[in-house]
Amino acid sequence: MFDSSGHDALSGDKWEVQLRKGCLELAILAALWGGKRYGLEILARLERDSDLIVSEGTVYPLLSRLKASGLVTSEWVESDAGHPRKYYALTAAGRHRAREMAAIWARFSASMSRLLTPLAREK
Amino acid sequence: MADDVEQQVEAYLNKVRRKLRGLDAESTREIVEELRSHILEKAAMSEEMTSATVAAALRTLGDPDELASQYVTDELLARAETSRSPFRMLDSLFFWASVSVVGFVVLLGSLVGYFLGAVFVLVAALKPFHPATAGLWMSRDAMGDPVFSLHLGFGTAPNVGREVLGWWIVPIGLIVGCELVILTTRLAQRCARRYRQARPPRSI
Repeated sequence: MFDSSGHDALSGDKWEVQLRKGCLELAILAALWGGKRYGLEILARLERDSDLIVSEGTVYPLLSRLKASGLVTSEWVESDAGHPRKYYALTAAGRHRAREMAAIWARFSASMSRLLTPLAREK
Repeated sequence: MADDVEQQVEAYLNKVRRKLRGLDAESTREIVEELRSHILEKAAMSEEMTSATVAAALRTLGDPDELASQYVTDELLARAETSRSPFRMLDSLFFWASVSVVGFVVLLGSLVGYFLGAVFVLVAALKPFHPATAGLWMSRDAMGDPVFSLHLGFGTAPNVGREVLGWWIVPIGLIVGCELVILTTRLAQRCARRYRQARPPRSI
């Protein structure tokens, strides 16, 4: 027998992964809002302030893409740890993009919450 | 740092480095240095850096091939988007084709476009040397429909059909050929841009 739900519908898990993927760029820009940080600091920030459980390998190529599109800059800074760290900072374009994405996010999540209120009440 | 731990880190970084082909030396060095810095710091977070803490740090970074391919795909798509010269474009496309089916299709399409463009230009360039044979030839097939073919003019003239454009092939060949090359480059740029925007980070 065929599953009536069809194959196209994303299962809950897959949907969550897609959702996270979509948010990661904004999350990284937001993590840099307060000033320059290096990779591990950005990761720590994402782990502490969000449940975007991120595979660490994904963040570095994404940072390099953000740099290529001019949203962040990077510089190497010597550290006490014995190896230099690559610090990232938002550019003016990066700040603009972050603000723009945050506004879209706020609008989107507010309208989703309104729509979802009945579901929460029934529980 | 103990030798075996260092070897462990270097083995991982070498795997990444090997898969970063196509990127320039400076980008490769930066990527590898950043990853090394991450691994060492992460592994040193616990009391003491051991083989086990390094292994854990490497595990959370993920498969080295996968990691490298995320960098490479981004980089070469970005390069394909801005390549104006056909040679640079083909260089980027060959790498793209080696990592993705979409890239392979775009490469094939571009090769056809560039090849046709090159043939038109070549025919135009050879016309002065082979005035009687080079050019656009038309013949009729068994059904009587016209069949066109471009001849570079080496050897003897075809037995059937006639040359239709005469000396006009020189300006027409140059213009059509150059247009084809430009159009192919633009199309490939557009494909790369589309693909890059549509492609989310592969794993999370």
